[in-house]
Amino acid sequence: MLEIKNLHARISEGREILKGVDLVVKAGEVHAIMGPNGSGKSTLAGVLSGKPGYDVTDGQVLFLGRDLLAMAADERAREGVFLAFQYPVEIPGVNNMYFLRAALNAGRKQRGESEMDAGQFLKAVRAKLKLLEIGEDLLQRGVNVGFSGGEKKRNEIFQMAMLEPKLAILDETDSGLDIDALQMVSRGINALRGPERAIVMITHYQRLLNYVVPDRVHVLSGGRIVKSGGKELALELEQTGYGAFGDAA
Amino acid sequence: MSAIVEIRPYVEAFKAQPHAAEPGWLKQRRESAMQCFAELGFPTRKQEAWRFTDLQPLQRAPFPPASGMSKVAAADIAPWLYADAAHRIVLVDGIFAPELSAVGKLPEGVWLASTTQTLRARPDLMNAALRETDAVGAQPFVALNAALFADGFVLALEADAMLDRAIEVIHLGRAAGRSAQLRNLILLGAGSRATVIETFAGKGGYWTNAVDVIAVGAGATLRHVKLQDEGAAAVHIGHNRIELGRDARYENFTLSLGSKLARTDVQLKFDGEGAACGLFGATLLRGEQEGTIATVVDHAAPRCITREYYKSVAADRAHGVFLGTIGVRPHAQKTDANQLSKNLLLGARAAIDTKPELEILADDVKCSHGATVGDLDETALFYLESRGIPAAEARRMLVEAFAAEVIERIEDDTALRAHLGRHVTRWLAGGIA
Repeated sequence: MLEIKNLHARISEGREILKGVDLVVKAGEVHAIMGPNGSGKSTLAGVLSGKPGYDVTDGQVLFLGRDLLAMAADERAREGVFLAFQYPVEIPGVNNMYFLRAALNAGRKQRGESEMDAGQFLKAVRAKLKLLEIGEDLLQRGVNVGFSGGEKKRNEIFQMAMLEPKLAILDETDSGLDIDALQMVSRGINALRGPERAIVMITHYQRLLNYVVPDRVHVLSGGRIVKSGGKELALELEQTGYGAFGDAA
Repeated sequence: MSAIVEIRPYVEAFKAQPHAAEPGWLKQRRESAMQCFAELGFPTRKQEAWRFTDLQPLQRAPFPPASGMSKVAAADIAPWLYADAAHRIVLVDGIFAPELSAVGKLPEGVWLASTTQTLRARPDLMNAALRETDAVGAQPFVALNAALFADGFVLALEADAMLDRAIEVIHLGRAAGRSAQLRNLILLGAGSRATVIETFAGKGGYWTNAVDVIAVGAGATLRHVKLQDEGAAAVHIGHNRIELGRDARYENFTLSLGSKLARTDVQLKFDGEGAACGLFGATLLRGEQEGTIATVVDHAAPRCITREYYKSVAADRAHGVFLGTIGVRPHAQKTDANQLSKNLLLGARAAIDTKPELEILADDVKCSHGATVGDLDETALFYLESRGIPAAEARRMLVEAFAAEVIERIEDDTALRAHLGRHVTRWLAGGIA
């Protein structure tokens, strides 16, 4: 599904953040990338999703065998890459439902499917809203406008559930969530697990991994993956901290 | 090009016009207005109020007044019809078109007719529309209009008359190389209430020169909406002269979309205490469009409120201008005024000039102003794109949202907001680079 080879990237005109990341994620797998602050976690998410402001200086990223980095951000999304934002953006004046339907239909168009009509769309929306306990009234507002921190994160997972991506990258989706919201978000992520789909969770803490149990855990430190293991690695990190990997947590 | 060359065709057109049947006082007003225009000439960029406006499209050739009315079918006005209007006046090339209009049955105390009809039946009303205000601010186009106007519309409400549904006025321009000189009048008696939606639309290289004289009496309320959607080759100059009585309410919303050169002037004077005005609008410009909004608010009475909020978007090589002056006279204590100009610049070759200005001569007032010019929010663009929305569509959505935010300022009228929103959407479908 996703193959990252020797990826080097820097903040545009700035210092190098990723210094040779190697990672292979197969369909059906859930990977967790953990690491201390400043290790390059968000840069990795940004580079994979096509966020402006980064220069890739070396390496390659293949998504389903295609050169991911050659695609524009919107094209990546339509091909099935989804990024759940650490800080979801408020967009006053753009209605949530309108936005989501435009996004959904853009993907369907890319796949040669017919556009979803208002009735089908509403039916799909209601089923997923229930899963994440999001009030329908929230969707009548501007994108993320007036949402609490937890509502914003739930809205990210709701969008993911609607768009049904092949590869989901969750950037610190657990940060700032109380235990109830964390459980809801986890339910949403688990509902999306499947043999055709891969999920990469980027997180500082082990907490989320109690609810969404990963197949593989990686430690990102100093811009490289310094250790990989099974789910037990996360527990080990919880005990020892990131200190052993050369960066202060 | 010298001033003489520019104005001569208009002076000649004036001499050729058949004003013989008009009352003496009107002929006199026209004469003095023509003289005023001849003395002032076309505005130049040396004048502060016209510094940023490139009048070339108006000066390359003369636009004598249209001599007759172009043939227009009902389908030609269909795109602009406002479904919620109760009474409609349509003018083609500046002349009343009864077959396209639907004045209908008017409530008691309401006068709605063309300017020529009103001149015949109610000359007392027209007198008010042609007072000596035309020289205010040395506006040559207002003087020219007073000399040359052929028609327009008049809405007059007696005290306490109420119009629950909107009056719609559609000005359609079709005569290439000609001008429509429109003189409109809205008079609201004490305690009355009305909503007027004026739409300017058309096709071809014509010039609309419209003057609206508006007086809102004590405790009366007027909502005044202008949709400027003139043809792409047309020039639009529109002046609104407003006087507000004690405790009056006036709201002006201008959505400016069309024409190659457009300028809307709003000149408002508070004549009585405790009145309030809301001046709002959105101007969308692309290609080589030029668009100016110029407002002058004169707080000549205490305890009045001004809320001003204008937005503009300039794409391609377009040029937008906002000039806003709020003046507070020495005795106009407890004035509460604020003014905001927000602008989006969507291209390296597009330009925006914005000049908010306060002139405060009273000491116990609350006044503020501000202006911003920026690009689309990169993080919002990326958010939309990251969900698969193509970049061009994401930009379109954000521009639409930018305009929608000021349309939302129109309170308690969902149908009107939706009407304006649809025109913004239609404009955006034409593409922004």
